[in-house]
Amino acid sequence: MTAREWVEVAALRDLARRGRTLVTVGDERIGLFMIDGTVYALRDVCVHKQRSLTKGTILRGRVICPGHQWAFDPATGRADGQDRCQPTYEVRVEDGAVFVDPRPRTLAAEENR
Amino acid sequence: MIRSVIVAGAGQTAAVAARTLRRRGFEGDVLLIGEEHVAPYQRPPLSKEYLAGEQSGGELCLLSEEWCGDNDVELRLGTRVAAVRGAERAVELADGAVLRADALLVATGGRPRRLPGVEGERVRYLRTVADADRLRADIRPGAHVIVVGAGFIGSEVASTALAGGARVTVVERADHPLAHVLGARMGAACAALQRASGVDLRTGETVREYAESGGHAAVLTGSGRVIEGDVVVVGVGMIPNVEPLAGSGIELDDGVVVDEYCRTSAPGVYAAGDVARHYHPLFDQRIRVEHFDHASGHGMAAAKNILGQRVPYTSPHWFWSDQFGRNLQYAGHAREWDEIVVRGRVEEFDFVAFYLDKGVLRAAFGMDRGGEVAVARSLVAARAVPDPAVLRDEDTDLTELL
Repeated sequence: MTAREWVEVAALRDLARRGRTLVTVGDERIGLFMIDGTVYALRDVCVHKQRSLTKGTILRGRVICPGHQWAFDPATGRADGQDRCQPTYEVRVEDGAVFVDPRPRTLAAEENR
Repeated sequence: MIRSVIVAGAGQTAAVAARTLRRRGFEGDVLLIGEEHVAPYQRPPLSKEYLAGEQSGGELCLLSEEWCGDNDVELRLGTRVAAVRGAERAVELADGAVLRADALLVATGGRPRRLPGVEGERVRYLRTVADADRLRADIRPGAHVIVVGAGFIGSEVASTALAGGARVTVVERADHPLAHVLGARMGAACAALQRASGVDLRTGETVREYAESGGHAAVLTGSGRVIEGDVVVVGVGMIPNVEPLAGSGIELDDGVVVDEYCRTSAPGVYAAGDVARHYHPLFDQRIRVEHFDHASGHGMAAAKNILGQRVPYTSPHWFWSDQFGRNLQYAGHAREWDEIVVRGRVEEFDFVAFYLDKGVLRAAFGMDRGGEVAVARSLVAARAVPDPAVLRDEDTDLTELL
């Protein structure tokens, strides 16, 4: 496995208060979500119609896109009842700070082949 | 034990029903009979991305021939179901053939309501991909597009035409667009959005006469104005395709009447989607809904019930419209209410309106507030009685009300 590239993107305290936040690392716009105490990172721009997921909501453990209510599993990026999958990122929380690896998991997986 | 299912129709509802049957492990025969010559496809983009030329026909596809082959689902396209025989659980095709199955699903959808007297070379309706292909050629810079009816289809066509460089006039009979769904106040917000975007919106105006000459379309309105344009798009509602059920003995009432399990009055015969007037326990009434999400959810519910699971269809209806750069969403069902509570700024087209009836949240309508409409949908499902002050307060998180 290739080395992770961890980038510090947010303070855990701020994320915990708002539940979600948008961060930018290079060209990647990443939505951070805190759901039941766990931090998840998904590409902010919805794979369906390019809406911003951080402008959506969190309902029953799913991230709901504000555009057309696609409901994403924050861990896998899979949308209920849909064929397409939202890119997700590795997350690490350390000393009150949130780190992400800004390479989407699926793409990162291909590189590791 | 059900060994075969015939679906009359091959649209969204039929496609989702077929997928659900297979995903749930049904191994019997599945046959979809569709009048159009195209495999099942999505209709929402026909007035938006597809009409604008941003999306190809292939991207609309719901059930590819390949998927149908792999999953042993038979598509019989270009074929009209002439009659549904309830007692025999059979359909009669236009050529006289009679096909029987253990369960029938009526998902025949609907067709555009025609406006009497408005006929000609320059008149367009929008329901099918063929309709959209034809209309697309009419939308070009400098063209004048006249839209009759400011409902969802009319408004979206107006939006797409405007974005395509056309001049757009919309003629609406009611005093506000969508007033029958949203009420006067929110209808006025939609009118303001249209006008701010550059639509020449004429409300409280009817079409008295229609004529074509010299390559132009001319509408004479009820107030005596003449509007000349290049094309007239009529979007004045939909008529459910119930004709095959006439004389079947199956109960009809502006659609096929079904209970919350998608069952018609004939055993083994189900109906879902646009064509079905379904009993909805949450609102304690029969409702017919002509929207994408309902078409999917209802098709799924019908499939489950065909397979013997007793799953009532209870989710509040939800729909969206993308128009004039805004995302409009509505969840729930309310035809009367005693209070509308607004969160956000209506004049900036950034708000959600909550429809309360005796304190119970029955519906919500928002512009660019999809996140909050999603929460509202859950609140409607829970028959919530939310504090209006909390609904109004932008600093509160609506999920706290759940």
